[in-house]
Amino acid sequence: MFEDTKVPEGINKETLEHLMNPQNYGKMEHPSCVGVALDEKTKEYVIFYTLLDADTIKDAKFATNGCQDTVVIGSMFTQMIINNSTQYANTAIEKIVKKLGKLSIQQQICADIVFSAFKASLINFEHIQNGEKEELHLLKMKESCEVVEDKEGESNE
Amino acid sequence: MNKLYQKKHELWLHITFASFAIGNEEIKSRLYDFSQIAFRHMKWLGEDILASNQDYNYDRDMSLKKEASVFIIINSLVKEIEAIQELYPDTILGERVKTDDAYLLEYLAQILSFPMNDVVVTSFNMKRVWLDKNLSQEQIDALTLFLFEESYKEYELILIYAYMQARTNDALQFNVFQDLIDESHFHLKSFGNMMAKLGILTLPRMLHEMTYIVKDLKQFVVDGIAEEEAAKVMCKELSERIKDAELSKFFDFINYQESYHIELMKKLL
Repeated sequence: MFEDTKVPEGINKETLEHLMNPQNYGKMEHPSCVGVALDEKTKEYVIFYTLLDADTIKDAKFATNGCQDTVVIGSMFTQMIINNSTQYANTAIEKIVKKLGKLSIQQQICADIVFSAFKASLINFEHIQNGEKEELHLLKMKESCEVVEDKEGESNE
Repeated sequence: MNKLYQKKHELWLHITFASFAIGNEEIKSRLYDFSQIAFRHMKWLGEDILASNQDYNYDRDMSLKKEASVFIIINSLVKEIEAIQELYPDTILGERVKTDDAYLLEYLAQILSFPMNDVVVTSFNMKRVWLDKNLSQEQIDALTLFLFEESYKEYELILIYAYMQARTNDALQFNVFQDLIDESHFHLKSFGNMMAKLGILTLPRMLHEMTYIVKDLKQFVVDGIAEEEAAKVMCKELSERIKDAELSKFFDFINYQESYHIELMKKLL
């Protein structure tokens, strides 16, 4: 309906579309594996569902209580990795960072939490393959958005 | 988990966002009233589900149809209301909900009977222009990000507080949750109408159960106070960046409301 709409400069059209309609967002009914990355300070999390067929990612979904940057990056990341190999997925975040240009420290942490949740899902898959009963695998983030905000606040003073 | 609850949740959102999308102030206001009634239906249906030792969740399977005219939005609402009728139980509550819906259908039919009501809807056009304000691109960008962030947060808070309210036997907690829910409804309404003005109206994303199943109330409140503090900072920054007296005053007003939310939340500790 609005395909020809020209989006003004600033927030680019692709980012706005991911903001308005995040792709692959929500729960997956029968994933191969599930990973969670958690920022213990802010309690922000990303949960990542991966459906694998051998080394190919057949489907991926994510959910988060985090900020819009996390949503946009999660949406872009899942779009890039579906129907690609896990090896390709390991390089996808770098490609997104290049595509988005210079990221703030906070945005880098958002990218990191999305990627960590994906990595956690692959660890969960390994554990399941090894016969362990693990509902999901949890990775705790080393860097927190809260600390970054404090640091940025200090540097602005 | 519970189909009726899920459909009611979706209907509440559809009525609420139809109200935001439509520019005619009278229709907007009436639909918002009906959306609040639908939210109460959701609350009462939830209470019945819990009383019968079952449970519900906040899953949804819907998208906001980005319709270009008022009549397309209203017709889509009519279909959804008609479809949910068969799910209502044969109880006193079920009868109450059915009569409320019947009255809403009558009102929607009235809107449809006046062709002049069928005007173009600009709430989804992504133009990000506020016609009666002179905002720079930088200000529009800041406002856009704020509205996406905060509209989600308000929706999240409404549902988390409602989830906890339905599960507490403590009168003080019940009242505090009710106050916080009412406040978040007002904020969601304010931000949703602003998003519509800018042409970026969209549904908040779905809540995952990791977000609303709270195992440690004290920790949740402590974290929530920190979040309210962060929201206050965002409002203050936005108020300073937006060089429009009316909008700046509005964000200052929201900022002061967040301060009182912190006081309300402290009562839960």
